[in-house]
Amino acid sequence: MTTHIVFVLSTIFVVSFVSFSSKPSPIYGGFGLIVAGGIGCGIVSNFGGSFLGLMVFLIYLGGMLVVFGYTAAMATEPYPEAWVSSKAVLAMFITGVLAELLVACYVLEGNEVEVVFKFNGAGDWVIYDTGDSGFFSEEAMGVAALYSYGTWLVIVTGWSLFTGVLVIMEITRGN
Amino acid sequence: MKPPILITIMFTMVAGTTIVLTSSHWLTIWIGFEMNLLAIIPILMKKHNPRATEAATKYFLMQATASMLLMMGIIINLLHSGQWTMSKNTNPMASTMMTIALAMKLGLAPFHFWVPEVTQGIPMSSGLILLTWQKIAPLSILYQISPTINPNLLMPMAIASVLVGGWGGLNQTQLRKILAYSSIAHMGWMAAITPYNPTMMILNLMIYIIMTLTTFMLFMHSSSTTTSSLSQTWNKTPLTTALILALMMSLGGLPPLSGFTPKWMIIQELTKNEMITTPTLLATTALLNLYFYMRLTYATALTMFPSTNNMKMKWQFNTTKKMILLPPLTVLSTLLLPLTPLMSILD
Repeated sequence: MTTHIVFVLSTIFVVSFVSFSSKPSPIYGGFGLIVAGGIGCGIVSNFGGSFLGLMVFLIYLGGMLVVFGYTAAMATEPYPEAWVSSKAVLAMFITGVLAELLVACYVLEGNEVEVVFKFNGAGDWVIYDTGDSGFFSEEAMGVAALYSYGTWLVIVTGWSLFTGVLVIMEITRGN
Repeated sequence: MKPPILITIMFTMVAGTTIVLTSSHWLTIWIGFEMNLLAIIPILMKKHNPRATEAATKYFLMQATASMLLMMGIIINLLHSGQWTMSKNTNPMASTMMTIALAMKLGLAPFHFWVPEVTQGIPMSSGLILLTWQKIAPLSILYQISPTINPNLLMPMAIASVLVGGWGGLNQTQLRKILAYSSIAHMGWMAAITPYNPTMMILNLMIYIIMTLTTFMLFMHSSSTTTSSLSQTWNKTPLTTALILALMMSLGGLPPLSGFTPKWMIIQELTKNEMITTPTLLATTALLNLYFYMRLTYATALTMFPSTNNMKMKWQFNTTKKMILLPPLTVLSTLLLPLTPLMSILD
């Protein structure tokens, strides 16, 4: 199983996305996001990006999701809908999981899945080597390049995040 | 909104569109669209009432979905061509997704349902920004990918938009909804010419923006949001009444006025490409548009609508509304037709 670890992780990734796409209350959806974040970290780390994977845990889960959890707790409703308490949510969840299991079984048969692009079966994602790209880790070089060649991108992204906060404040001002 | 925050939000909105206009890398184009969307939401919600919140939510959901579709198209293009620049989008799946995403952003039929509802729920000045500035960025991307757009996708959407824009506006009395349907119809004209001669699309966009700016400003000047309040402008500011007459005729595309130039050029370019039915259809359905502009003109400038007698004797106060550039814009929206031979510089 561990040779196909990325395929397994990606299946669980999709299932956790289904768990919050089936629209339970936000507090329960946050749980799906936590699982998805952890699995995403696992997938990225498997391809050699250990720094970025741990960034996901630290900043995404430990920063943004914590804030989301607190605000969801502040804005909670008296009768939240979980996956088993509402038939609609349960139905959507089961539909999503069944669809994913169908695709996964179809892939495992060894066939290739061609929806928009060719996905050549579970073997496509097995990691054979760590990527012989010299002495430097590609991923760390990518992060470094963000701050040297990609200065403009950092400025734009930082400004967008700042504007996001301003926009939220303005919308929820209420007067 | 406090002035420093308004300045920041406006700057971000302008910066977002500028980034879309000046980028060659698909990712920064997408970032520009998102910045634009994020910054315009508080402008749509300037007045904090539930109607504006609903309008802002609908706008956000539609544009976010379109951005996601655009990102999908970008990634498929990356997968098949291996590079992020704007030059070769020859994969049909990527091109289709990008076209549909941009059509959703513009409000082309069949993705037009949000335009009247969003325009109606927001203040007049926000509607002005929504219907003019927000069209620039998607149309610039449409211009840049125009060589590889499938005309079989875009032409039906364009013809349907002109039809919907004409028919939908027939039963409206609210001015903002009328302008929304007018915007849908004009976007249809612009989309129709894009696969064949994108320069004419830019011409249409420029003249459309000038005319719509003037229309919105005249409506804001007389503080009218319905046809019945527009029918009282003869008593408030008689000059506005005359200008609305000229402007509505120009919006409808009647010949001695500048609104005729883009329609003429578009029909000329379409017939140069051996298409007969399409320009005939476009021209005939533009008549529906003309009908409701005529109705506005009739109510405003040509008749005195029934009203109580004390509404016919208003004090004519000096207005304190700042209508920037209104006289030059009005002149531009009505008198540009004799300059049409200048279009030969576009060849």
